[in-house]
Amino acid sequence: MDLKNVSGNKALNAPPEKKTYPYYIEEQPSSNRVDQFLCAFAAVLEYSDYRSLLDSYCTSNAKCNRCAVTCPVFMATGDPRDIPCYRTNILLDIYKRYFTIGGAIKARFTGGFELTEDIIDEMLEIFYRCTACRRCTRACPMGVDHGLITRLGRYVLSLIGIVPKALHVSVREQLQGETHNTSKIPKEALLDTLSFLAEEFKDMTGVELTVPVDQYDRDFVFFCAVSDYLMEPETLLGNAAVLYASGDWDKWTIGTCNYDGINYGLFYSDWHLENIIKQLLREVTRLRGRNVLIGECGHASRSAHDFVPVFGGNSAYPVVSFIEYTLGCLEQGRIHLDPDVITERVTYHDPCNVARSGWIVEQPRKILKSFVKNFVEMEPHGQENYCCGGGGGLVSVDEIHEFRMEIGGKMKAQQLEKVAADIIIAPCANCKKQLKELVEYYKLPSKVMGLHDLILKAIEIPGGKSPAERKEEAALFEI
Amino acid sequence: MTIEGWIDFAKGPLFALTFLIMILGLLRHFIIQVYQLLTGKGRRLRRAPWKTIVLDALSWVFPIKHLIKGTIFFSAVSFLFHIGVIIVPLFLADHIVLWNNFLGANLPAIGQSLADYLTLFTIACLLVLLVFRVFSARHRAMSRKTDYILLLVILTTFTAGYLASHPKVNFMSWETAMLIHLLSAEFLFVLIPFTKLAHIVLFVFDRISAVHWQLRPGSGDKVAKAIYGEEVHI
Repeated sequence: MDLKNVSGNKALNAPPEKKTYPYYIEEQPSSNRVDQFLCAFAAVLEYSDYRSLLDSYCTSNAKCNRCAVTCPVFMATGDPRDIPCYRTNILLDIYKRYFTIGGAIKARFTGGFELTEDIIDEMLEIFYRCTACRRCTRACPMGVDHGLITRLGRYVLSLIGIVPKALHVSVREQLQGETHNTSKIPKEALLDTLSFLAEEFKDMTGVELTVPVDQYDRDFVFFCAVSDYLMEPETLLGNAAVLYASGDWDKWTIGTCNYDGINYGLFYSDWHLENIIKQLLREVTRLRGRNVLIGECGHASRSAHDFVPVFGGNSAYPVVSFIEYTLGCLEQGRIHLDPDVITERVTYHDPCNVARSGWIVEQPRKILKSFVKNFVEMEPHGQENYCCGGGGGLVSVDEIHEFRMEIGGKMKAQQLEKVAADIIIAPCANCKKQLKELVEYYKLPSKVMGLHDLILKAIEIPGGKSPAERKEEAALFEI
Repeated sequence: MTIEGWIDFAKGPLFALTFLIMILGLLRHFIIQVYQLLTGKGRRLRRAPWKTIVLDALSWVFPIKHLIKGTIFFSAVSFLFHIGVIIVPLFLADHIVLWNNFLGANLPAIGQSLADYLTLFTIACLLVLLVFRVFSARHRAMSRKTDYILLLVILTTFTAGYLASHPKVNFMSWETAMLIHLLSAEFLFVLIPFTKLAHIVLFVFDRISAVHWQLRPGSGDKVAKAIYGEEVHI
């Protein structure tokens, strides 16, 4: 998409301003970050298995620049430092110089590349200018996974204490805090929220229910992005509506020892990624559950789907995304969605973490097309979608809000303006937050919501009010 | 030694030596990659989505569906360049004699006129790629010395080869053109395993990033312990 050709909004057409966007770090490494970085890198190479990847990439990386034109950040800035291959090459240069025989020999005779404090500064900035959407990887003829390399760079930086404070504090609370979740929601507050949600459900549908908590031997143990309990009650009510309407209400439970599907380890640390997965699985084992049911969240779905089999060992329970579950119910005729209540123009944003691999692309579209008459696609979409601009954990870093609006999310904002939908569906806690902020920032006339927020409006609840009745009541309430 | 003597030397022992360096170098890459994958990933290799990986890699053989707005010209030139750079060295009639002498391989030959067109086409592609490297700020920002050197060496090889077989356009003696052709090609053989041209073999390993997302269980705790000691506070 041409950056200059989108009409209307002045902010969207403003030329990019070259500036840095620093994020808070809890405690900067005191001195000699170069040695600390190299020691941390050495430890990662010793105990992980990144060597074959790095050997291959640092020898054969073609540097053809195709990745540049696919990167929404580079497209917004035009700054060569935002070219994925440029970022990747910094880490590859370090690896080649300090951890290969060829690099050591070359350095002895010709000097050449040397890691400096300035390069550390550059890395800590540009590794967090990437939204880890991995769009560039699909464009690379060599198949270089720039997202994986950026993540490795972040991992090494995190080991010397360089990581955005927002991510660091959340992970610490999740793994070593009392609440074991990123939003620090205590068990009592969770139970209050569930009671509130049950009351809301009753007001909305006329059906009284009790949310199953700490129930043993259930088919599904439910984990959503824990922030949904605070910020996205409609998504959770939509999840509840599907479970109730499908007749599976007595087949699921929420555990009170761990109810957070968020895994920021996916964005910056193998260490945290694994321990968060294991913590999640311990809860399923405690409850003798049979499946992990992940709510609407791109990175939570991917981290569970991809890494439960890797780290789960004997506890590698099957992982089910709520979108897949809902589609299954719909196809089996266990839920019914009223095709007459949603009259608005609706579009769908693909969260990178579930769409880029091709795993969840068609499922939500099948659901939406079954009851939305005016469904319209953004271009590009599916595996080629643009990131919302808050991926890779950036959405949690409030101090780079301007970066997320002006750079990271600019291409997405232009897409949203062009598609001109009344409702933007984003089945991901991170994407929803970022897209809501983009809509507000650029004053776009659209409403952002989760997939199950929309399903909640159209689902037929056995023994409850019809979708049409609920729509009338909601309209009265809005007046 | 006369120039004919140098040509014989370049066609004989030097060719064998440089070709051997290339083969051994590429073989080293292959063995190291396979060894590291088997010892590092082990059973986790089974979990990788191999069908997706193979289909994706095959889709790049004729990468029509991978054309992206903004790089269509560059991508098309790169692709067409690869056709010439693979077919001419392998299937030119004059080269087949060499392959037969050294490897005992009896490859089919392409016609001289097709070889000529392909050579000129490859030279044109090389010039375009060089122009991109030099004049595009985006490409320049990414480029290192070797990126320019490799293009120039391949350009020299193809140009000298063409001149040697076309006396009408050859502005130097046949011997000189042939010697330049041989020496630059042999220099290229030596460069292949040590530069990005190693993607001849490593392409396969580059494309398996899905395998590398199969992280090693327990490695994070070991890394943390090595750096922070027993008491780890996040």
